[in-house]
Amino acid sequence: MKQAEKQFADETLVSSSQAPSDVGKEPFDLAKLRLSQDFETAVGSSKVLTTIPVRKPDPQAWFRVHPDDAFRMETAVLEHREDREIYLVERSLWNDLQSEIVPKVLYTTITRQGNLSIWSVRMPASDGRLDNWNRSAQQAAREAMKGWVRMASNRDLGAYDLFVPKAHFPDPNWPSMTFEEILRIAFRDHFIQDMDHLVIKKLQGRQ
Amino acid sequence: MKLDDFLEIWCVDFEFGAPPGERPQSVCVVAHELRSGKRLRLWQDELQRLEMPPYGIDGRCLFVAYYASAELGCHLSLGWPLPVHILDLYVEFRNLTNGQKLLCGRSLLGALAYYGFPSVGVDEKEEMRALALRGGPWTEPEQAALLDYCETDVRAVATLYRHMEPTLDLPRALLRGRYMAAAARIESVGVPIDLKSLSLLREHWIGIQDDLVTIVDAEYRVYEGRSFRRANFERWLGEHNIPWPRYASGELILKEETFRDIARQYPVLEPLRQLRASLSQLRLSDLSVGSDGRNRCLLSVFSAKTGRNQPSTSHFIFGPAAWLRSLIRPRPGFGVAYVDWSQQEFGIAAYLSRDPAMVEAYESGDPYLTFAVQAGAAPSDAIKASHGPVREQFKACALAVQYGMGAEALAARIGQPKVYGRELLRLHRQTYPRFWSWSDAAVQFALMTGRIHTVFGWTVHIGPDPNPRSLRNFPMQANGAEMLRLACCLATERGIAVCAPIHDALLIETPLDRLDEAVATTQQVMDEASAAVLGGSRLRSELKLVRYPERYVDERGAVMWSTVWNILNKIKQGP
Repeated sequence: MKQAEKQFADETLVSSSQAPSDVGKEPFDLAKLRLSQDFETAVGSSKVLTTIPVRKPDPQAWFRVHPDDAFRMETAVLEHREDREIYLVERSLWNDLQSEIVPKVLYTTITRQGNLSIWSVRMPASDGRLDNWNRSAQQAAREAMKGWVRMASNRDLGAYDLFVPKAHFPDPNWPSMTFEEILRIAFRDHFIQDMDHLVIKKLQGRQ
Repeated sequence: MKLDDFLEIWCVDFEFGAPPGERPQSVCVVAHELRSGKRLRLWQDELQRLEMPPYGIDGRCLFVAYYASAELGCHLSLGWPLPVHILDLYVEFRNLTNGQKLLCGRSLLGALAYYGFPSVGVDEKEEMRALALRGGPWTEPEQAALLDYCETDVRAVATLYRHMEPTLDLPRALLRGRYMAAAARIESVGVPIDLKSLSLLREHWIGIQDDLVTIVDAEYRVYEGRSFRRANFERWLGEHNIPWPRYASGELILKEETFRDIARQYPVLEPLRQLRASLSQLRLSDLSVGSDGRNRCLLSVFSAKTGRNQPSTSHFIFGPAAWLRSLIRPRPGFGVAYVDWSQQEFGIAAYLSRDPAMVEAYESGDPYLTFAVQAGAAPSDAIKASHGPVREQFKACALAVQYGMGAEALAARIGQPKVYGRELLRLHRQTYPRFWSWSDAAVQFALMTGRIHTVFGWTVHIGPDPNPRSLRNFPMQANGAEMLRLACCLATERGIAVCAPIHDALLIETPLDRLDEAVATTQQVMDEASAAVLGGSRLRSELKLVRYPERYVDERGAVMWSTVWNILNKIKQGP
């Protein structure tokens, strides 16, 4: 019978023919061999936002509105009904485009999934009148500055229903961006700066 | 440690025979020393007379081989000590090309072809292997042919070594080589099997299958003879209102993993799942059990992309259906212990990402319930008994994240609509933002650099169509594999008889009067291995003890084992 087999048959603790003499002595400097698993430092990058939609909050999504004044803006937008797109309009063009533009507040919103969007809500007319849809939307925006809300249209009522959660949701983590940066991404190719913009030409029958 | 530090570099190859389940029996060995040019050719009768290898194996020498656990297994069978420093060119070639498609495979011939070297033909290699496996006696020309063939392989190893030398990552390559010694020791020890029970099962397996179908299928009426009928199964599902995934064609998906997932949600399906698995997959004759009642098979080390072992599912006792594991039984006077890390992958994710909430969850002892509490789905005083179902859902979510599972698959696993899956995953992201940032960075790192590595340098190279889920999962799985390899090294080097490594566990065997001591040593080495991989943080381990005459029981297979033995007893009693 071979030595290893003899040893195996013996009721010994050892598993092989080699009874280690230097038990406990680690032959490798494992700490020195260890390669970093800090991939963040190695990559040196962070998530870059490339898309911020301009739209009304989804009726099934809980959302918040940025409570800081610096993250909203009263302005004028052009709603192009044909392609259902919203364009930001350069202030110097407002007089020329009075019949096309509408006064709106642009709010910065965020969902529970951390997705940013711009929500435009109509402001009252010069006589102070505002329909129920926009009045309830403005109210929802104010509520969303204080806590999570969900907003769904109620056609019978002609206004939005507002829901608040029963459970406590933690505050959102707003990305470290300025409102200007957010607007630049949101209206990257939806900013009308002169009267030769394709949308203006189409509306005025010039193209 | 550098290659220049070694006084001798020995390229070694054995020819051997190894019937299923037996230890390798050496036929001959050839060894070339690369610095001096010294060459050794020894036939088996000469080997058996030696107490020590004819080549240097101490700390000044480097032992080089291709798939060294085979050579080291021959050392153990010959009663020789193992080399101090082992360089396995198979492992290093595997690490250099892991993730790439290799036209000629990972064998020695494949590695030579990869580097553009000519080699011995496949046909000749097969012929010589067959000659070695045939067993003796060999004629003198046959002996010369086998030695020549063995020498051809040694030359190939030497060529490969010279070519790969500049790319070798020492001493990490030697750390991997160290594991080949542990693997050889483990393969030599094997898992103790109740040979008598196995013989009975093998003898009566056909009759047992018929009765199994009759007994188990009585609840379902799905089988016709030994054939599983889809139409009958579809009818049964309808009667029991159990939803089942389908292909676009409308056909039921009957994969084993689908069965396993649905059976988790509907335990009524579990006996049918086990019956199906036993009938379709179980070939008892394939289980490699030696004449001494030990299950021995190739561990197929470093075979998975993650570096995990991939032993044959039909040869290895932990491969087939869980009930068959009850064949594991220590010898008289011995006990076995199954020691596994608690929630190994969750712990690795927590400590490597350094997510404080995840670390807190791991250290709580019940990471899944703590996750539910942290996410606000359970009160802070919740316990497993009071919030079992919630805990199960959060457990499924935590495991799903580790495997890169999406909302739909998670929802299917917990038997809920997709919205539940999406919400659970969102809660995970919200509760463990640091982990997600680290995990996202790991994927980015892999995509940017074309590879990703473990703490000790096991690397996967990214192909043209990478799977982000696999990349996300790699740090947990591959570092888990590092941890297990290191634990195997430490345990075997400290004299523990490790019977098998199993994913995140070690099965050990020891005399009963030393069981406590051996278990303590095993838990100690697992503690040390986790600390080495995790930079000082340690994972807990749990254990299951089996003392002769008890047998090992996997809870998932306990009922099936009992059913099989009731059938067997009736068959033995006769009509």
